[in-house]
Amino acid sequence: MIDSKQASEALAEIDDIVQRVRQSQLYQLSSEASLWWGALVFAGNLVTWLWPIYAVYAWVAVDVLGVGGLVAISLFRPSRTHVRTSDIRILVTFLLFFAFGLFCTNILGHFGPRQLGAFWPIYFMLFYTMAGLWFGYVFFAIGLCITALTLIGYFCIGESFPLWMAFVNGGGLILGGLWMRRS
Amino acid sequence: MAELDDIIHQPLRLKIMAALNALPAATGLEFSRLKKLTGATDGNLGAHIETLAKAGYVSVDKAFVGKKPQTTVTATATGRGAFARHVATLQEIIAGKQS
Repeated sequence: MIDSKQASEALAEIDDIVQRVRQSQLYQLSSEASLWWGALVFAGNLVTWLWPIYAVYAWVAVDVLGVGGLVAISLFRPSRTHVRTSDIRILVTFLLFFAFGLFCTNILGHFGPRQLGAFWPIYFMLFYTMAGLWFGYVFFAIGLCITALTLIGYFCIGESFPLWMAFVNGGGLILGGLWMRRS
Repeated sequence: MAELDDIIHQPLRLKIMAALNALPAATGLEFSRLKKLTGATDGNLGAHIETLAKAGYVSVDKAFVGKKPQTTVTATATGRGAFARHVATLQEIIAGKQS
């Protein structure tokens, strides 16, 4: 028989491993979302750079496909994780987040294409960075890196800014997704 | 007071069972992920999984994903029950000290 100190240590060990499993499951789920959004954002920025007149349509398509992809990910892997992905609150959170972004860019300010190209990635990465403070350093690192590179591009890169963002934002999300998959 | 489960009580086996028990029923973990989560070596992890499998606490499925072999370990209903009893016993030991 063991004493209470050893029993406490065993329970602490169990809590620690449960936390690690949950974080690992969250990373698995988030990696799929990051890879999907990364590919879409890469394509959206590439279209913006090559055919600026079609940029509006491209970004509407990116948003629709992005949200559709998230819903599909939620529906098709419900049992592999304890992370609740089909919760309506996630959808409402996303809609509120998106609505506030639109309010900032269209009503509070009238952002041009370059400002929009910098605002949305920084806004989304702020979410990643804050989430990282609770759910894992990988989110924090991805958020901070993409934000820093977006700001560098915004202030230092000229007309090729959308191309820069294709690699920084799209490529960054893809690399981040692969990193989460291995974490 | 209930007895501690000798099979689960070993530190690495406790970690394995805790990790598998944190997943929904019938959901398993790949060997490589389990290795990363527990910090064990291949040989050590394999030996302890075998002990748990012999006790009927886990099931081991081997399959090929593409050309790569993949081993998935899943806690059985028996294993989940034994783990729950083990945790309850640990809690009883702690509560015994407090009373």
